[in-house]
Amino acid sequence: MRRMPQIAHVDVNCFYASAERAFDPSLQGRPLVVLSNNDGCAVTRSPEAKALGIATGEPWFKLAPRAKEWGLVAKSSNYELYGDISARVMELLGRYSAWLEVYSIDEAFLGVKGGPGELLALGYRVKEAVRRHVGVPVCVGIAPTKTLAKLCNKWAKNNPAFGGVCLWESVPAEVREGLMARLPVDEIWGIAGRLTKRLNVLGIFTVKDLVGADPVLIRDRFSVVLMRTVLELRGTSCIPMEEERIGRDQLIFSRSFATPVTTAAGLREVLSIYAQQASARLAKHGLQAKILTAFAATSPFRDNEQAHPSVCVSLPMPTADPLLLTKAAHALLPHVREGLKYAKAGLMLTDLRPTGNQPPLELFENRHEERGIGPLLEDVSRRFGRGTIGLGHAGIKSGLDWTMKRDMRSPRYTTHWDELPLVKAA
Amino acid sequence: MGVIIGPRVIDAGASLFSVLISPVAVAAGFPSPAQDYFDGRIDLNAHLIKDITSTFVVRVTGDSMEGAGISDGDELIVNRALEPRDGCVVIAVLDGELTVKRLRLTSTGVVLQAENPKYPDIRVPALSELTIWGVATRCLHHV
Repeated sequence: MRRMPQIAHVDVNCFYASAERAFDPSLQGRPLVVLSNNDGCAVTRSPEAKALGIATGEPWFKLAPRAKEWGLVAKSSNYELYGDISARVMELLGRYSAWLEVYSIDEAFLGVKGGPGELLALGYRVKEAVRRHVGVPVCVGIAPTKTLAKLCNKWAKNNPAFGGVCLWESVPAEVREGLMARLPVDEIWGIAGRLTKRLNVLGIFTVKDLVGADPVLIRDRFSVVLMRTVLELRGTSCIPMEEERIGRDQLIFSRSFATPVTTAAGLREVLSIYAQQASARLAKHGLQAKILTAFAATSPFRDNEQAHPSVCVSLPMPTADPLLLTKAAHALLPHVREGLKYAKAGLMLTDLRPTGNQPPLELFENRHEERGIGPLLEDVSRRFGRGTIGLGHAGIKSGLDWTMKRDMRSPRYTTHWDELPLVKAA
Repeated sequence: MGVIIGPRVIDAGASLFSVLISPVAVAAGFPSPAQDYFDGRIDLNAHLIKDITSTFVVRVTGDSMEGAGISDGDELIVNRALEPRDGCVVIAVLDGELTVKRLRLTSTGVVLQAENPKYPDIRVPALSELTIWGVATRCLHHV
């Protein structure tokens, strides 16, 4: 019997909190929240924090007064750390399937094949490898479609009986139905608040209700997108791969190539184009990025040699400047092996923040560049430290509008030599 | 005569140890006869890091491992993917802290040994009751 390819959805449990815990074991078992930009509100909660009834998006000023009584620890977002941990997880996942789609900073889809026993074993192998190599916990959902794979992952997370890995075809049909009947429809991938209310009006409250709905009626009343979701829930794969996505705190730009790219020069061109497109997208949303991750992957055919290079670059300041982003993206090139068939490449921009009041650098850019002021500033900063010299407003050490409040940030353990994790010899 | 020092590595977190130094001394004024033999620089990443996804660098505080050549302020290269074996220098989780010790697997149990007589051994009933964070593979000792 010929088996259809399946899709594994892998994501890191409470990613930001787990990344913090990987380097600070004292956070294990304690309620922990990671705060959004400027320490505004809780964006990631450890299970212990969830158990305290802390909601996503709860402002920190409301939580702070009770933190001591709860034993609650808060951390500012440490995007340098999260970006590097993400790149490590993705590179590791790439070893298990040549077909890898990085979906967000903490989740990816993998194309997988095999019988139920093999697929389950693969799921557990992936879970164990990520825990051991990188130190963060993941759950795995495996199903014929992306929507179902995401659903299975959710079950794997919320249901200890699955042991962190849920394979659609090995869950008995009556158990699936029971689980779907208990899951509100807005828990499905791609269904948000307003849509939920409109579905409720039609008597669709649970995932089971949605599976039972007529896809054509759904298309007419809602959209083709929602019809695809219904079909996907019924096991027909129809969600296209690799759409550009912008989330609350990340922008991902990745594409497959029509013909493989085999040279660093070719990838340089591709990365430059993506960086400029990403720059335009950032500008459109009024955002700047501080961290750029660039990656490439070889084509998913077994007879090819496989490689999944990636780099994580911390930009000197938040920016949407196409030149800076392009330069940063080129950091991938030394990791590219000539002659391999690269089938896709992409950029992930994280640590996004609204465009602040920037010093009017652009007006002077050309004149200064001619005089070599940029390199001079860089040299001085290198020698005497960041913030010792700068142009106009950038020279003032504190009180910059774009400087983020990150009072509770942990060390950037893996990207800054002077912030390495400390190990006790006592 | 001068030695060419290559460009600095950008602070990208991607190549912690890329030191770019040309192995040849170059005489100013005429081409070096050695330049045809230049076939790439020594890349410390390639020699010191077996697996980039599972390798981390940590810094030591304290003197309990001096007998193993690990001093206060040294950096250790740690591979999380390695199986901890008897005699390995490991990073273990003790009381919520990362601690460096030598792992001893004996017939009577697991011992975390310091390499300095000033510090006592720590006994653990079984390896399963211990969290090993990673296995140290190199010490970057400051001379």
